[in-house]
Amino acid sequence: MMGVRSLVSVVDDDESVRESLPDLLKVLGFAAQAFASAEEFLASNYVQQTRCLVLDVAMPGMSGPDLQRELARRHQAIPIVFITAHRDETMRPRMLERGAAECLFKPFSDTALLEALNTALRMS
Amino acid sequence: MHEWKQAQEELRNTQAEIAHLTRVMTMGELTASIAHEVNQPLAGIITNASTCLRMLAADPPNIEGAQETARRTIRDGNRASDVVTRLRALFSKKEPAAEPVDLNEATQEVVALTSSQLERGTVSLRLELADDLPLVSGDRVQLQQVILNLIRNASDAMSAVEDRPRQLLIRTGRDDGDGVRVTVKDTGAGVDPQAANRLFEPFYTTKSGGMGIGLSVSRSIVESHRGRLWAASNDGPGATFAFSVPRGSRSQ
Repeated sequence: MMGVRSLVSVVDDDESVRESLPDLLKVLGFAAQAFASAEEFLASNYVQQTRCLVLDVAMPGMSGPDLQRELARRHQAIPIVFITAHRDETMRPRMLERGAAECLFKPFSDTALLEALNTALRMS
Repeated sequence: MHEWKQAQEELRNTQAEIAHLTRVMTMGELTASIAHEVNQPLAGIITNASTCLRMLAADPPNIEGAQETARRTIRDGNRASDVVTRLRALFSKKEPAAEPVDLNEATQEVVALTSSQLERGTVSLRLELADDLPLVSGDRVQLQQVILNLIRNASDAMSAVEDRPRQLLIRTGRDDGDGVRVTVKDTGAGVDPQAANRLFEPFYTTKSGGMGIGLSVSRSIVESHRGRLWAASNDGPGATFAFSVPRGSRSQ
């Protein structure tokens, strides 16, 4: 049972997201890891195993889109669900155009998240 | 938007005191940061509550997990409540800092930071500063925030104007009584007479991206200086916004 769960990695500088989202992901049937920054994620041992990234857009240091570019540079094709607390309607089409699986505005529902993850996992 | 943010950035750099920084945000920045601050804990609340429900619905239910997520829901709720408390403090009519303020100088500083943006919007600016303007006593940065808001509103009101010159007149002068007045006159869309009395209400806006707090905060700032802020339609096109603050105003 354990080994077959897809690993979803959460990268967000907001602590309450890092605390709450992994539990929801586990309840939804995924394995989950949380990281406080893009740098922390890249330095971890989980990059290879990650089937999907739930990635905050605006973070101090390396931003979400920065991490997306860095992963592309490394030829790491991990589907990305962006999340952001800045509700900017022009952002979602922009993100999708640049290859994101989905872009969710905080706060988002569990069903919206699940749909986004299913879209992402179909991409990989 | 970006240019105004840049102007704001420059305004920040010119302000020496760090304590002033948080009070010189443009309304656009303020709105975005309020939304951001509130959305973060809301995301936590909704995620935790969703997890809680799913844990309770499991067979067998995960009571301990549900309790933990419920506790986190409460904590995030308190976080959201803290944001509201901070906002209330921001909007409350607390006594502004009292320092001698030269409104000519304060106006010139704001104008210097916005002039390149006005130029790019092909707005011609005329600045008429009165000689021997008395000092007022108040919070320089708050008063500059009001001036910045009025200039920004004027500029926004003229952005769609194509059939006449976009002209902005900023004037300082003595008020009839004992006050000092700053007037911002534009040739923009003008004030809808039917909406005139609603202009200063919180959350009333005529801008598509606006949240309607610029003028209400501005009025609250001016009133905390024992002054008043008002609007009038021009004889020609456009509107005039002005505020006056009594010289040496300040209680305590």
